[in-house]
Amino acid sequence: MGLSEMAETAANFGEASDLPIIRLINGINELVGRIVSVVAIVFAGIIIYDVFMRYVFGSPTRWAFDLSKQLYGFYFILLGGYALRHQAHVRVDLLTERMGHQFRRWTEVAGYLIFFLPFAWVFTRRSWDFAMTSLKQGEVTYGAVQLPVYPLKIAMFVAAALLLIQGVAEVLKLVLNKTDHLEPMEPMDVR
Amino acid sequence: ETWTMTTTWPSSLELIETDKHWVKMVNDLVDDDKLQIEFYDGGNIVPAGEVFGAVESGTIQAGADWPGYWAGRDSAFSPLATTASLFNAVDYVNWIQEWGGADLYNEVYGKFGMVYLPYGVTNNESGFRTVNKPIKTVDDLKGLRLRLSGLEQGKLLEKLGGNQVSMAGGEIYQSLERGVIDGAEFSTPNVDYSGGFQQVTKYWSTPGWHQSSSVFGVMINKAAWDALDAETQERLKIAANATMLWSLSFTEKRATEAYGEFKAAGVEIDRLDDAALAQIQQMANETIEEVACQNPLSAKVYASQLSYLKDYSSWRDASAPFNLGRTPNGPDLAKIEACAGQ
Amino acid sequence: MSGEAIALIMSGLLLLGLFMGHPLAFVLGGTAVLGAVIAGKPMVLGIVVNRIFGDVLDNYVLIAIPLFVLMARFLSDSGVTDKMFEALRHLMARVTGGLGLAVVFISILLAATTGIIGASITVMGMMALKPMLQYGYDKKLATGLIASSGCLGILIPPSIMLILMASYAPGLSVGQLFAGAMMPGVLLGLMYAIYVAAIAWFKPEWAPPVRDEEQISRAAMWRLLIVEAVPPLVLILGILGSLLAGIATATEASAIGAVLALLIVISRGRFEWATFYSALLETGRTSAMILFIVVGATAFTGVFNITGGLRASQDLIRGLADDPYMLVAMMLLVVFILGMFLDWTGIVLLSFPIFLPLVNEMGINPLWFVILMAVVLQTSFLSPPFGYALFYMRAIAPDDVSTGDIIRGVFPFILLIISMCVMIILFPSLVTWLPSTLYGG
Ligand code: NA
Ligand code: NA
Repeated sequence: MGLSEMAETAANFGEASDLPIIRLINGINELVGRIVSVVAIVFAGIIIYDVFMRYVFGSPTRWAFDLSKQLYGFYFILLGGYALRHQAHVRVDLLTERMGHQFRRWTEVAGYLIFFLPFAWVFTRRSWDFAMTSLKQGEVTYGAVQLPVYPLKIAMFVAAALLLIQGVAEVLKLVLNKTDHLEPMEPMDVR
Repeated sequence: ETWTMTTTWPSSLELIETDKHWVKMVNDLVDDDKLQIEFYDGGNIVPAGEVFGAVESGTIQAGADWPGYWAGRDSAFSPLATTASLFNAVDYVNWIQEWGGADLYNEVYGKFGMVYLPYGVTNNESGFRTVNKPIKTVDDLKGLRLRLSGLEQGKLLEKLGGNQVSMAGGEIYQSLERGVIDGAEFSTPNVDYSGGFQQVTKYWSTPGWHQSSSVFGVMINKAAWDALDAETQERLKIAANATMLWSLSFTEKRATEAYGEFKAAGVEIDRLDDAALAQIQQMANETIEEVACQNPLSAKVYASQLSYLKDYSSWRDASAPFNLGRTPNGPDLAKIEACAGQ
Repeated sequence: MSGEAIALIMSGLLLLGLFMGHPLAFVLGGTAVLGAVIAGKPMVLGIVVNRIFGDVLDNYVLIAIPLFVLMARFLSDSGVTDKMFEALRHLMARVTGGLGLAVVFISILLAATTGIIGASITVMGMMALKPMLQYGYDKKLATGLIASSGCLGILIPPSIMLILMASYAPGLSVGQLFAGAMMPGVLLGLMYAIYVAAIAWFKPEWAPPVRDEEQISRAAMWRLLIVEAVPPLVLILGILGSLLAGIATATEASAIGAVLALLIVISRGRFEWATFYSALLETGRTSAMILFIVVGATAFTGVFNITGGLRASQDLIRGLADDPYMLVAMMLLVVFILGMFLDWTGIVLLSFPIFLPLVNEMGINPLWFVILMAVVLQTSFLSPPFGYALFYMRAIAPDDVSTGDIIRGVFPFILLIISMCVMIILFPSLVTWLPSTLYGG
């Protein structure tokens, strides 16, 4: 699949919306979310394989501990933008529920500008330096099994960038009045 | 100037005492308008594994550590922290102070924009503590899952037939209790005792051949160091030297007390015999040669350490039995010097 | 800028962001950034990334969170719960208050198999609320009971809350917290059962027996119970057994649990790729939601600490309470009040760094304190205005049940939770006995 095709596939995941930029960002995070969510099964499998090898064959793996930990890191951090795209991040909507639509909309925009954007920007900017330092040093874990650490640090930067652009898309949706999540949200998560 | 400093040690581990000792001494020795250090216990500012990055980037000015934690960034950090069956604490002091060691710390940390003041030494670590199988011979190590820190240490254990498990200090107790690992090394006897290991292990195998002694110190961001005047810098070094001597006798005293406490708790203590240690020495030498030859900087550090041992051996051996420690039958100096490109 | 000033400013920003309805994760993260800038120390922002990586990404213990979420979802897909409830409902049908007791017992069983609450409240609400109302149960009792019993899942191990707590409490392991929460959790469930039995005794019209035509034969009932109840029991044994018997760590137990639950789904012929995939997607969103609160909180705590806000807050508490019991009572009250507005993730992550050093300083047993806090946090699901369990019940309950009914319904259970806390304070061994038997020391 070529890059342009991938972008198109990605955009198709997004819901119909006027601005192509919103569709593209929605699509990218949707695609990332749908791929990365599967990783949970992979690290579950690795952990069980290690337990099995240890107790049945008495020969544990050398790599399961570090690898499953790294996969878990990739997994949840890259899903931050995807969760935001689905408005899955928990919020307290005591007051906002009682606000009028317009007031609530602009309150939400203000929330993104005051809190989200400064955080997401610092997270993105600083994790870029963090990842590049690690890459330059060729950082590995410090035991006998020397697993590279920089891929995870680079993933953290990518995740921060995905979160940042999704936040921009959410602000645009609010400003253009194209949101679908403003209705009182039913608790969707499984906590 | 005000510096923010933290450490890799949580407040519950006695290792933090060395850091606090140095900080207090600096704050006493240096006028408040020149420098004040605000010290935070480990984990309060950044997690242990991130202290290096925080000092390197200048986010905080100083961070106390055990250099071995950074071996994943450069394997040369490993011999700056400990050696497998080579140096004892006095060797580290000699080497750092008079045989060029201090410069090597600054060369390796300098690559990352930091200055290093070694200010703590502890002598031999406890050795392995096992749940229900004593380690009396080298053969007993075969097939055991043992918690162990370090690159050379892990490779050496694998040569001896054991499996290295890396895990944070806080997870060891439970893993021993639940049988997830067969045994663990952690630190010196006093630190181990504060970790409650006597409750979950029946056997203790000495000596700590994997970590014959250890060095601790403070990483200082180069820009922050350069901002100090020469006199203040000198006072920081004086405090480091004084702390180093204090840390040696403090830990040895505490280790002796803890040894008695482990015995009183009913832990069986077995010492590996000299033949076993000679065999381990052989394999430690091979490991050191292998690891050193993968990194010229690591080879340079080892070459310097081995040159010191060779140089000092003439007088050390002549003064036996009143000498300080032993001259180990160590790795091949010429080979490691070749790897260092000297 | 003084620590007191920065503590005040950062708390103010936190409240502002929460009441603006912005996601908690980013309110915390944003407050960290703004706090550092306002304190005139923007250079400390470097620690934000250090902390996110070291505390949240590079953390073996937290792997268990997505896996326990996944397990709960598989378990609910398997339909085991429905069958179990059916069996117990028939078993207890003839008893006054039997349906209510069945709800409590199933909830305790569910709690011992899953680590999250939403699933059990939803499932129980769907299955039990309609028949309870139909047979004339009091609206307040029915909704309050289902909501409160459902929350036991986060207290009775396994529990993702206890996992997160262990990850943030230096020196306490997941195993110790699981063992410590076991007795208080089960006892609280039994207190709910006794309460229902007492109501049934004194006010039988609030909890009447089930009519005869609904009842099935004894043989059919036992078959249902044995065939349907065995799989979840296997699951409990698989998870808690492997954890407590020392075969596996909490992380490993969570992986075993997820795969066992999947096997139950498959063995019941309920496996479908589409459901499987949507379980993975939902788990992904939920895990990201929980763990991003950890991300925001670790940024917040780091900046709060380094700018002096943390020390100022601790000094304030120290000044107010010099007696250990006074201190504990005050901290629990703070947790209770926070529980009205925040969910447990935010409360744990914000309060642990402030409370635990004080707890250690006062020589209070940290395990005991953490479990006390876990019990008090049961109220955070139930106390208005912001309580997850209330929302879940509101979503499930028919329209003739008002929100006021639900709130009045959970009130007696909040009192029961508070009495449980008093019992733990009077008899600390309720918490400490099992961990010290299992783990020594
Ligand atoms: Na549970
Ligand atoms: Na609440």
